[in-house]
Amino acid sequence: MIVFVLKRLGSAVLTVALSSLLVFFAVQALPGDVAVQVLGRDATPEAVAALREQLHLNQPAWTRYLSWIGSALHGDLGTSLVSGNAVAANLGLHLRNTLLIAVVTVVVAITSSLVLGVVAGLHRDRWPDTVISWLSLVGMSVPEFVVATLLVLIFSVTVPILPAVVLDGPNASVAELLPAIWLPAAALGVVMAAYIVRMARTSVIDVMASEFVTTATLKGLTRWRVVTRHALPSALLPTLNVIALNVAWLVGGVVVVESVFNYPGLGKLMLESVYDRDLPMLQAIALVSAAIYVVCNLAADLAAMALDPKLRTGRRTATR
Amino acid sequence: MEDRACPPGGGRIQRRTLLGAGLGLVGASVLAACGASGAVAPLPATAATGTPDRGGVLRIARPPASSAETLDPASSLSAYEYLGALYSKLVRGAPDGSVLPDLAESWESDPLGVRWTFRLRRDVTFHDGRPFTSADVVHTVARILDPATSSPQRGVLSPLLDPSGISAPDAVTVVFELKAPNAEFPSLLTAYQCYVVSEGSPIGVGTGPFRLESFTAAGRGRVVANPDHFAGRPVLAAIEYYSISDMQARANALLAGQVDLLAQTNLDFVTARVINASSRATIARSANAQWYGLPMLCTAAPFTDPLVRRAMKLAYDQDSVFKLAIQGAGSVGNDNPVPPGNAVWTDYRVPRDPDRARALLKQAGHDGLQLDVYTSSYDPIFTPMAVAFADSVAEAGIRLNVRTASSDSYFSQIWMHQPLCATYWYTGRPVDQLLNQIFRGGSSYNETAWSDPAFDAMLDAARREMDAGRRRTLYQDAQRYLVDNSGSITPMFADRLVGLSREVVNYAEHGFEFDYLNIGLVRRSS
Repeated sequence: MIVFVLKRLGSAVLTVALSSLLVFFAVQALPGDVAVQVLGRDATPEAVAALREQLHLNQPAWTRYLSWIGSALHGDLGTSLVSGNAVAANLGLHLRNTLLIAVVTVVVAITSSLVLGVVAGLHRDRWPDTVISWLSLVGMSVPEFVVATLLVLIFSVTVPILPAVVLDGPNASVAELLPAIWLPAAALGVVMAAYIVRMARTSVIDVMASEFVTTATLKGLTRWRVVTRHALPSALLPTLNVIALNVAWLVGGVVVVESVFNYPGLGKLMLESVYDRDLPMLQAIALVSAAIYVVCNLAADLAAMALDPKLRTGRRTATR
Repeated sequence: MEDRACPPGGGRIQRRTLLGAGLGLVGASVLAACGASGAVAPLPATAATGTPDRGGVLRIARPPASSAETLDPASSLSAYEYLGALYSKLVRGAPDGSVLPDLAESWESDPLGVRWTFRLRRDVTFHDGRPFTSADVVHTVARILDPATSSPQRGVLSPLLDPSGISAPDAVTVVFELKAPNAEFPSLLTAYQCYVVSEGSPIGVGTGPFRLESFTAAGRGRVVANPDHFAGRPVLAAIEYYSISDMQARANALLAGQVDLLAQTNLDFVTARVINASSRATIARSANAQWYGLPMLCTAAPFTDPLVRRAMKLAYDQDSVFKLAIQGAGSVGNDNPVPPGNAVWTDYRVPRDPDRARALLKQAGHDGLQLDVYTSSYDPIFTPMAVAFADSVAEAGIRLNVRTASSDSYFSQIWMHQPLCATYWYTGRPVDQLLNQIFRGGSSYNETAWSDPAFDAMLDAARREMDAGRRRTLYQDAQRYLVDNSGSITPMFADRLVGLSREVVNYAEHGFEFDYLNIGLVRRSS
């Protein structure tokens, strides 16, 4: 088991390292000379040359990568080309704002979608299943920006109870942001929940048809006990990875939804950094997102191991 | 605001046109259902006027220039919407291109147009209480000329003026000694980089109708009425500014009543109709505010050949482009970059003649010309304009392939690099600046790279001419020469469709002038 965990950790570190490489060179490949893009059209040739020098753009990409990753390992993500402030502080602020939405979305969407998925699975082909399946199909098919716009039209324009956009900047306090997080969270929740509902439904159906559930039922256990004690832990297993990917997607910043709500999170910061060609900022965001994906997947794998006796003990039987 | 056409935020983070249209349609249907009226109301032609309530707070949503934007008017990254509220200029531009007094009461030049003397108002103080004097004007213009400031207006003023040429004989007189005669010099001081700042006060302190209370780059800010403003107290008590990059988000904020006015936002027609159909907001226009064009790069094949350039202009149907791309909301362009309404504008127009275009192409050896025309989602009009243009030149045997390029690098990778692309500028440049900055051989904004000594000589002659009537004739000759020879295709000028609350009255904006003094709010009792 320890070997498994160590292997998994090793591959996680390797993934982050490889993605840092990919991120760095992908950012370098963005169209347009960085210095020209940063300084805008009014830049004089001398100013462009000076910025190229300052960014070490005249050095080979490998040298620049090594020095970037070297400082990143020491926690120094560089300074923003646009504002001149430390990348880490600004990134942290936006990450906090994104986390605020992510936590609400994750708690509400995962809980409700698991419940809905299980209910649908237990009532296969009867009306609760039909309704839930249809709703989740709609949720899956409609893009999140359309959901966002509909929510704005309903809850901000027609019945004005929630703000349509965030008017505050990234340094707003949590209390100031609080009224504004519900619509983005709802828009994301709808899209995210749809996938989890489908996944949970399918695995509940699979598990309920399996022999050990039949055995448990034949032993005379109540349906409630069969479902909660025997079926659910196994049924949740395949759902875990879907949940992990969704959480990573949320925490990594959701560009379109944050942009529509003018929400000062990681996704909006990423979009602005692309437009401003703020390379240090962009690299840092991509690296943090990659790390979040890896951590979420790792967490899902470890949780799966905790839930699944076969995974937990498999290693031992193999070495025997 | 960058000096481009590009209000950086305005288009920086523009939604995809299709995407925006899709959202608009969803909105339109929902609102139509709410309003229970099937017919779509036409977009209003003029902004609401009336007697505003005293006081009130106007909330403006604006696209941030950059996360490094500043209140320094001379900078290329100035937060444009704050400037007119906080500062005043020596002179203002009128809608017809003439020059009106502001901080300067009057001005005159010697008979040659070399030595210009401006007399200043005596009753003006900066927001921090310091009196406004000629030294502040000297400081402001010298700063623009200083290469270290990297002001976009430096390229316009530095060929005419050295810092040593500016002097202040007394506290209310400023003298500019030009390097060469220029009859249009005062008009060059109407640019929005020329707002007067004080040497002894921090940036943000001006002489304008509002005082700065707070400002955050790419964030929110607030200015409050300046009761001591020399032209009177403004109607509003305060203005609050909010940065919203996404155009759809700005429109949503207006629909939800979170803001009252969308600055630097040319709404697409679908969104404009949705806003106009709502009970809370409506549309006003800034007439002919956007100059749309398809510059042909004269240094790239096939446009190195003047015959091909002429053929392109003869081949397309500007009326159909005008109708299809902007639904007639504006004026046809006649391939003349000077907007109609300018006092020196000429109605010269070369009628369309696709047969002659075909013959010219044959003569130039470009029979069956095939080309790419580039567009992007940077602006909602680009693609409809390019498509309508490509469609109408087909009649002359020209096959244009419309290609969409990424909007974030459009102005660094496509514009001035590809032989043919869509572009736009804000109108509002004085005619001398417009023609010299964009059409003189070798100038930095010369998007067609057209260089014609005969045309440059016409501009010089116009600058030297001190008689206004004769100067007008010279500028009109220059326009005709441009229409016949340049690489610039101008199908139209479009009205900017501005979204604003139905409570806003006396909104007036033309070129780079916004009336912050008289705009006000009327609380509706509903």
